[in-house]
Amino acid sequence: MLKVDKLTKIFESGDQKVGAVKNISLYIPDGVFSTIIGKSGSGKSTLLSLLGALDKPTSGTINVDSQDISKMNDSKLIKYRRDKIGFIFQNYNLIPNLTALENVTLPMEFSGIKKNDRIVRAEKLLIEVGLTKDKHNRKPSRLSGGEQQRVAIARALSNKPKLILADEPTGNLDSATGKVIIDLLKNLAKSENTTIVAVTHDHAIADQSKITFKLKDGRLIN
Amino acid sequence: MGVLSRGIKNAFRNTIRTISITFILGLSIAMALIMFLALQTVNMKIQNVKSSIGNTITVSPAGVRGFEGGGELLTSQNATDLASIDHVAKVIQTTSDRLRLEGSSTVSFGRESTTNDTSTTNLTSPTEPGSFGNRQRRSETGETAATDFAMPIQVTGTNDLGSLESVNASKLDLTSGEKIDPATSENVALVGKDVATKNNLSVGQSFRAYNKDITIKGIFDGGNTFSNATIIMPIKTIQLLSGQSDQINSMIVQVDSIDNISLVSNAIKTKLGEDKVDVTSSEDQVKSTITPLENIKSISLYSLFGSLIAGSIIILLTMIMIVRERRREIGVLKAIGSSNGKIMAQFTVESLVLTFMSSILGIILGVIFSNPVLKVLVNNNSSANPSGANLAAGGPGGRAMGAVMRLGNDAGNALRDIHAIVDYRIMLYGLAAAIVIAIIGSAIPSFFIAKVRPAEVMRSE
Repeated sequence: MLKVDKLTKIFESGDQKVGAVKNISLYIPDGVFSTIIGKSGSGKSTLLSLLGALDKPTSGTINVDSQDISKMNDSKLIKYRRDKIGFIFQNYNLIPNLTALENVTLPMEFSGIKKNDRIVRAEKLLIEVGLTKDKHNRKPSRLSGGEQQRVAIARALSNKPKLILADEPTGNLDSATGKVIIDLLKNLAKSENTTIVAVTHDHAIADQSKITFKLKDGRLIN
Repeated sequence: MGVLSRGIKNAFRNTIRTISITFILGLSIAMALIMFLALQTVNMKIQNVKSSIGNTITVSPAGVRGFEGGGELLTSQNATDLASIDHVAKVIQTTSDRLRLEGSSTVSFGRESTTNDTSTTNLTSPTEPGSFGNRQRRSETGETAATDFAMPIQVTGTNDLGSLESVNASKLDLTSGEKIDPATSENVALVGKDVATKNNLSVGQSFRAYNKDITIKGIFDGGNTFSNATIIMPIKTIQLLSGQSDQINSMIVQVDSIDNISLVSNAIKTKLGEDKVDVTSSEDQVKSTITPLENIKSISLYSLFGSLIAGSIIILLTMIMIVRERRREIGVLKAIGSSNGKIMAQFTVESLVLTFMSSILGIILGVIFSNPVLKVLVNNNSSANPSGANLAAGGPGGRAMGAVMRLGNDAGNALRDIHAIVDYRIMLYGLAAAIVIAIIGSAIPSFFIAKVRPAEVMRSE
């Protein structure tokens, strides 16, 4: 469950104040695949980074799993990102000198899971997202875009998060591959009972989601 | 995969960069190490010069040098007076005599000739008179030739065997037997190895001198022909046997520090009277030896700091560059739940790996080049130094001149014999320097790491 109340983010540069996210309230139940749609500069990515505790809101509250993250200190936020959130990015953001398997084990290492357990889970996840075993020990540079995004999804799932935040997950992929990735995310939301929030400007993807939020100039429009 | 293995892996992420940094940083560590070694070696040398040849003052009776000149000899009371002066560590007294071969027609050669002269021995001097010995003999006896002339043997009485100067030796190694106790008045002696060879002497045997049997306790190598042709005995024994009781030929005053030489020299003159004693200190010679060493010391000190700073800056800039380059990656790590501490630790490991490899290279280069560099430093700085060669021309004379000559040689040797001492500690110093550099080099980048916002990851390139 994700509940956002009167969320506002204002960026200050010098004397200028720019409201990137203005007074947004929304609610998404568990296990729902939802999308945020809007043009570039509409505040989609800012909203996503506030939800993922990558940035702190100017005002308003964010409740994830009945915890208000807007009140958390830095060390609690690190744990929140590690345990409750899975991130998927447009440009995958895998660590280039680590193998696919090592990339997936990384969040589990941060949460203190034993080495053998990490590897077993990472292998299982990679198979689940459709990366064949022969590619587990490849570095990202030797994987296609679609394969890299699969690894990123496996990494996002590794700590069994309550919320997966995806920033233009298909933006760098061809439409066929993009469809496969979206199907994968939809199925995961169902099977893992994970809430998924995907930011996109692709209406075809938005049409597939259960809930769609439209953003314009930092405000929700319906 | 842990912080450690990721840090190590990252250090080799860009091979060309890793090689270049290892090489540049290695050179600066080598430089630091070489300068550290130079500094240590020069410091040791300065201490050595100061303590061994620098801190003595030779006090001779005014107008007397060894067996030349004229005037009043010094007394035990004088020695007691000198010992009471501040900063005087020790007063070494010597009394010398010359022993004539029994039955030789030669007069006592350099000492008062009396009818019942007992300054005789059954030992033959290993030294051939040569033109110098014959000239001295003629000047003292007026003879032009003698068929049975033999050089006398010098016997030195001292109250301290620790002072090489007092026994005219450049070293005092026993080839057999043991040292004598210089504080006694027993009829015992150390015999120079040439005297022993010439007269077939060995430890435990005795020889005749002053009509007494003198027991040989040991045979020594004094490091030069002159001292190897002499005999050393306790000063009280010589004073008793030669009838010079309470007389001292010269004294060597050891001062606690070279910095107090002038002070003590003046105090000696005041105490004993400037017209009564000649005071010779080695201060000027020591200064001329130490000045180039001090120059090398400051050069190496500045270079040491220079290269340490250079090394720190190299690794610092490298790490800043790496951190800036991996801003997004740091953002990703933060976004997926890594703490600042873990990321900093990972970068510190990377910086440590780079400096560790560099220090290995630095140690190897340091060991290879420490001696050549030190030699260049010494040669460039000692060209203006008046070394042993100039002083050795001082010519013949008594003990004081001998001491100065020897000092000149020592001073020259101090520079010529200088060489860096390379041992296992160099490894520890090298690694210590590397760790210091690595820590400095990752401290500031760590600050940058902490400043990277996790939202950085959302920026599209």
